[in-house]
Amino acid sequence: MLMDPTLGRVIERWRAGDRDAFEEVIDRYGLQLLRTARLILRDPSLAEDAIQETFLKAWQRIGSLRDEDPGPWLTRIAMNESISLYRRRHRFQALTERFGRLGGTRHELSSEARLDLTHALDQLTAEQRAAVALHYYQDLSVEDTARVLKVPEDTMKSRLKTALRRLRELTGSEEAFA
Amino acid sequence: MSDKFEKNLRDHLHSEAQETREFPRRLRGRIRDGIAPRARGRMAPQLALAGALVLVAVAVLAVRNPTIISVVTTNIKQILQPSPSPTPQPFLCQDQSGGSTGLTATLTNIRPGSHTGDGYDRVVFDFSGGIPSWDLTRQESATFTRDASGQQVTLDGSAGLKLVFRDADLASTVPTDLKRQFTSVREIAQLGNFERVLTYGIGLSSSQCVRVLPLSNPSRLAVDVATSGSASTTAAPTPLPTLSPSGTDLGTFSCLDTSGGAESGLAMQLTAVRVAHQPGFDRVVFEFAPQAGGTAHLPAYTVSRQASAQFVKDPSGMPVTMRGAAGLRIVFHGASGASSYSGSRDLTPGLPVVQEVEQLGDFEAVLSWGAGLSRASCLRTLELANPTRLVIDVQTP
Repeated sequence: MLMDPTLGRVIERWRAGDRDAFEEVIDRYGLQLLRTARLILRDPSLAEDAIQETFLKAWQRIGSLRDEDPGPWLTRIAMNESISLYRRRHRFQALTERFGRLGGTRHELSSEARLDLTHALDQLTAEQRAAVALHYYQDLSVEDTARVLKVPEDTMKSRLKTALRRLRELTGSEEAFA
Repeated sequence: MSDKFEKNLRDHLHSEAQETREFPRRLRGRIRDGIAPRARGRMAPQLALAGALVLVAVAVLAVRNPTIISVVTTNIKQILQPSPSPTPQPFLCQDQSGGSTGLTATLTNIRPGSHTGDGYDRVVFDFSGGIPSWDLTRQESATFTRDASGQQVTLDGSAGLKLVFRDADLASTVPTDLKRQFTSVREIAQLGNFERVLTYGIGLSSSQCVRVLPLSNPSRLAVDVATSGSASTTAAPTPLPTLSPSGTDLGTFSCLDTSGGAESGLAMQLTAVRVAHQPGFDRVVFEFAPQAGGTAHLPAYTVSRQASAQFVKDPSGMPVTMRGAAGLRIVFHGASGASSYSGSRDLTPGLPVVQEVEQLGDFEAVLSWGAGLSRASCLRTLELANPTRLVIDVQTP
């Protein structure tokens, strides 16, 4: 994606180590990345951790940014950080639950329960939530969502379809919104 | 059916996302710290490697000359013994920030106290409703700039701390000026109370390191100022910033277009437009109220910079030229002032940069305003609640 000249100058200053320029990039992209991370991680503190790590990595790896809009690049880093953070947290919860300590807050779903969308989203995998957040919140196309998450387009279509089907099951499909 | 579900999902995600109203300042501070030049603490791996190499070298020397052992152990003792034991809450010789956003906090009292025996003076800021977002800035003089008037005020002392609380109200009983003859703290004075931003200056006898403790039950922020250079610190003293005329403590100015807010539910009603100069910037405030049955939210907005003060009215297409040589176009989606705004729709404040602010359109819940600027300037936007406001700060020379 081509950059507008103003943004291009900001990126050049960033490449030269200008922290003010980097803060302008945070101003431009930070809030949307944080919101997306929160949709995936379901936890404001974890989302902040993920975005902190995202920007620190971006600062260190500016050399790998080609002459392009940094938005998709930052989104890709943020998604990787969010998913890996969620996996680490999930692994810890699984261990603690196994040993009967620090029981997690995972929602126990009865077969007849119908959840609202917030709780239904909690039940998706981090990868599914990332796909849903990018496609339905950031309004990325399926192709762009697949590119950001580094999976084939067909896999992304399947992932979105599965996520939607799961959300419909959990919410009682359209009736929940009637 | 599918489209309806997907639309509901999309709306829901946007609604969930809007719960994060702004990029937290503490997160920005954490990132800023992370990209700061490498401090001593982050050199640990390198120091460990260097230490290991030294040990190997000593071992080799010991094999060749056993008397080296006594020399080395003596030197190691000399290195280790003088080191003070670290304290859990060290004093820092640098600017600090913290607190929480989205609170409805009220500052209820300020209590200074001397703890010279323990090596510090303490100033406690009591809050109800939690500790709001705060920034503490050290400075090399006790001269501050008042927020609204821009007047200079000099407190007792020769150095200072500036403490800014955001999204905070002020109880009427809080003193505006407290003088103390403590070892470090000499005076605490209110510098500003505008748009729910409270600013305080603390005059100090000399430049000192600071420890900030957020405490609960009741909520309070304790600012401990070291009374001597012996206080434990985790960082070498950083150079103090000079008193900047820009006064930009509310975030970074960006020379980019900006956007935010959310278009959801009933359109918001514009109730006020205010323009004022503050040190370092001209401020334009758009204030909104929800319609009956609607919920308060900042409407989706874009603020676009342009290289001239010529605008086009919406929807007539008529050209309009404002005062100045550059401009800003502010467009709100899901907002109107047609039945709610009774103020002037063409303000000519004649501020250093903002020369004119005029409504450009109010049609089909799209509300447009323009600002004529004396020169192209960078911006900072703040989204504030209770009441709902968009604050646009235009940087002044």
